[in-house]
Amino acid sequence: MADSEVVRAGEGEVYDVELDENILKANRELAEENQNLLKKNNVVAVDVMGSIGAGKTSLIERLADQLSKRYRIAALKGDLTTTIDAEMIRRHGVEVVPINTGKECHLDANLVRKALKRLPLNKIDLLFIENVGNLICPAEFPLGSEKRLVVISVTEGPYMVVKHPFIFLDAEVVAINKIDLASAMGVEIKNLRADVKKVNPKSEVVFTNGRTGEGVNRIAEALGL
Amino acid sequence: MEMHEVSITTQIVESVKTEATEQKARKVLEVYLQIGCLTFLNPEQVKFWYEILTKDTILEGSRLVAEEVRGSVHCSACGYSGGLGQVDSSLPHMLMPTLQCPECNGVVKVVDGRDCVVKRIKMLI
Repeated sequence: MADSEVVRAGEGEVYDVELDENILKANRELAEENQNLLKKNNVVAVDVMGSIGAGKTSLIERLADQLSKRYRIAALKGDLTTTIDAEMIRRHGVEVVPINTGKECHLDANLVRKALKRLPLNKIDLLFIENVGNLICPAEFPLGSEKRLVVISVTEGPYMVVKHPFIFLDAEVVAINKIDLASAMGVEIKNLRADVKKVNPKSEVVFTNGRTGEGVNRIAEALGL
Repeated sequence: MEMHEVSITTQIVESVKTEATEQKARKVLEVYLQIGCLTFLNPEQVKFWYEILTKDTILEGSRLVAEEVRGSVHCSACGYSGGLGQVDSSLPHMLMPTLQCPECNGVVKVVDGRDCVVKRIKMLI
């Protein structure tokens, strides 16, 4: 169409433009690209999300110990800053790419895409993507994983699920960690489980102790590993 | 710690700026935004950041209208389509969202409500 045929508003006129631009779509499309890349390389990817200090890293360490005979494992480790946790996971023979988000409260599909480029994907079977500790923002940004593990612990009190229900909607597996501290904290773990099951009836809820490894085999089973 | 409203609002401002530049607008007057109820975006926080992020741009002083749109779910067992259900939590008088179908015992799938869309821009040419 010739430019002269287009009807334009004259100077000083108010112009209404329909834009219909979906702001969250860009991340979703990148997440799909990541998912395709992982599938092509036969890598099973698991998001590990959860509150700060709930024990996400410890559970990945225990899972790595239990699964390293059957899978070649790698991990992406998101934190605002430092590589402390990345080093912890690395000690278990896992190839780790640390991702420092600076001030961002979550990983996004673009950061994951960049990190995936650093991994020899054809030599990996299983990838853990540990998000920044946060029960809100990470749920907004799919990364391309096949499965989602959400970790909370009894030290955060009895109402973690009631207060942050939305992140549980997408979880395949929920670990309630630090169960050895439940009575000291006055927390009934069965109530936490009941809350998760009410929000998401198809999720598997597993009680764990990340220090001893108790319950970790059940996380693996629930993830189909 | 910054919450993700900052990064999302930055993207909103950028996309409006791109469109306004393309239309050779002198000023953006109003931006109409739809925020899905199943996103984690707080409209008040988006507005707060919008005001800060639009300073010294052609968006400065423009009105951001943020409408929340209801999410919807579908149950393949009974065919229910509608809003996400709610259940009692372990806390008295406290409801939680649930994937349990409000009509049957099935589990619903979220079909809508996870978007944040810049619908319309009003600008002065």
